[in-house]
Amino acid sequence: MKILVCLKQVPHQDARLDIDGAGTWIKEDGIKFEINSYDTFALEEALRIKDAGEAEVVVVSIGPDRVTQALRTALGMGADRAVHVKDTEIDGSDALVISKLLAAVGKEESPDLVLMGLMSDDGNTAAVAPMLAELMGIPSATAVMSVEASGDGYKVERELEGGALEVVELPKPCLIAVQSGLNQVRYASLKGIMAAKKKPIDVKGAGDLGLAGNVGAGAAKTHIEKIFAPVKGEGAEIVEGSTDEVVTQLVAKIKELGLL
Amino acid sequence: MGNILIVTELKDGAIREASYELVSFAQKIGGDIKSLVIGSGVAGEAESFAKKGGGTVYVADDASLANYNVDGYAAAIRAGIDASGADVVLISNTPSGWDVAPRIAAALDVAFVSDAFDFQDGAYIRRIFNGKLDARVKVEGDKAIVSVQPGALAAFDGSSEGSTEALTVDTSGARAKFIEVKVAESKGVDLTKASVIVSGGRGVGDPEKFTEVIQPLADALGGAMGASRPVVDAGWLPHQYQVGSSGQVVTPKLYIACGISGAIQHLVGMKGSNFIIAINKDPDAPIFEVAQLGVVADLFEIVPALTAAVAAAKG
Ligand SMILES: Cc1cc2nc3c(=O)[nH]c(=O)nc-3n(C[C@H](O)[C@H](O)[C@H](O)COP(=O)(O)OP(=O)(O)OC[C@H]3O[C@@H](n4cnc5c(N)ncnc54)[C@H](O)[C@@H]3O)c2cc1C
Ligand SMILES: Nc1ncnc2c1ncn2[C@@H]1O[C@H](COP(=O)(O)O)[C@@H](O)[C@H]1O
Repeated sequence: MKILVCLKQVPHQDARLDIDGAGTWIKEDGIKFEINSYDTFALEEALRIKDAGEAEVVVVSIGPDRVTQALRTALGMGADRAVHVKDTEIDGSDALVISKLLAAVGKEESPDLVLMGLMSDDGNTAAVAPMLAELMGIPSATAVMSVEASGDGYKVERELEGGALEVVELPKPCLIAVQSGLNQVRYASLKGIMAAKKKPIDVKGAGDLGLAGNVGAGAAKTHIEKIFAPVKGEGAEIVEGSTDEVVTQLVAKIKELGLL
Repeated sequence: MGNILIVTELKDGAIREASYELVSFAQKIGGDIKSLVIGSGVAGEAESFAKKGGGTVYVADDASLANYNVDGYAAAIRAGIDASGADVVLISNTPSGWDVAPRIAAALDVAFVSDAFDFQDGAYIRRIFNGKLDARVKVEGDKAIVSVQPGALAAFDGSSEGSTEALTVDTSGARAKFIEVKVAESKGVDLTKASVIVSGGRGVGDPEKFTEVIQPLADALGGAMGASRPVVDAGWLPHQYQVGSSGQVVTPKLYIACGISGAIQHLVGMKGSNFIIAINKDPDAPIFEVAQLGVVADLFEIVPALTAAVAAAKG
């Protein structure tokens, strides 16, 4: 049994988001990065399947040098080995190009199960999981809140609006994109971190995956032309002053609403 | 701009409001509008959609399409694209929309734009970084699969000349199997009945702070405590406290959001509140766009002082 976990490294959720000179992305230097929140739940789910039986957990991430840190963390949590797809040619790729690279890794690894996140916290495209499943020719489910082995595959619960759940069965091999909160994510133990130092990280470029010349901005079918602060409407009236002054105004408002 | 295909969605046997919003979105892009209705026993709904902006409505009516299934729906949408010769395909970004739309783009090797909320000057506008920034996305060529944020545009409610056309879909290759839908069970806290809700987000920092800081203000105001999703994901509070698209949709007289940034999935659950106060240390937090009163400060300064002042005011 082999599980491939796709993880992306993204700006830390509390990082300052300043727009870069070109106006097409944020300034990445000097900010902290972390594993995409949804992907930590995917990794945890893979590790639980491994703990419950026997499985090799392979993590893969596409990104620059800094991604090594995310892969080391994943290895420290218990993943067995890592694939780092790194190539300056990849800059400017859109979700479809990223999916093609991951599909090439998927072809080399031929996992029984691919686990990943529903959505990246930076780009918010929520596109790579279904695209990767399509390119690998396997069934998939997104926004998954529970995974249970069943017959020749998995029975999963997909989250619908308002907290309803859709139960779906997928035969193996298949791809499952998890929703946040389906489990409680473990921390890497000190022992795990030490052990991770000896685990292999296999570095590959686009050429190694048969995609030289077919990645990056030139291959992308969508481009971010500009990013900007959301257009502001009227917005809230901002209450200013000392804590006492602010609180006095809030209490006055609550009284006016007839709630005090 | 060529042909646009609207992929409608049914809920409880009727075409959803979001599908009528797609008509408005398609009109904004401009082009010849055609639509697709997928389901079982949906001829009547298709007829009425054809008269309400749908144009030529292709009907994929098959017992195997009674419930959403990624493989069956992908087959139906691809048949709809073939029949309509669509360049741009619009799908609502709902749990079934986001599950199937990117697959179609990958299968056809065309552009995919996710969760667009507007189309301006030839580009799609969408939120990134969970609502903190926006992006203008340009598509190479004229073919694109676009998922559209529900609620972004007003639903089209005019009438039009339209007709339906049956579509045959081969769903025999489906591998994913629909079993059932389990409806959300409401247990314990029913936030929809509270007249005041004090909600805490990831900014509250840890579970104890909900008991020490958020709950006391809710109690002082005779209201209930609520939370954003990350609070529930982390196990700080049970799911019944969650406000938002995957939690409860609430409309209290007063909603106080503490340490909540205001991602769209949270906003849809509380923006209908009569009055909203937001307390957040980030002046650019999107929550201030839906609030009537805002406090840009550390919630740990404001909330305990407010609790004390409310208690004092009650005498
Ligand atoms: C399909 C789907 C469904 C979802 N459903 C829901 C849902 O039902 N409900 C929901 O809430 N989310 C939902 N989400 C998640 C949503 O996208 C956001 O991730 C989430 O709402 C963010 O929660 P938050 O505002 O608490 O955290 P963050 O976005 O991390 O914001 C924390 C905020 O706290 C502020 N802060 C930090 N410390 C302090 C302090 N001391 N004082 C004052 N302010 C402080 C920060 O400035 C920041 O604005 C869903 C997502 C998806 C993809
Ligand atoms: N660069 C990447 N490397 C590895 N996995 C990725 C990468 N980008 C996206 N993914 C995976 O795809 C999921 C959805 O991301 P997205 O479609 O970009 O919102 C993420 O949660 C990851 O599991």
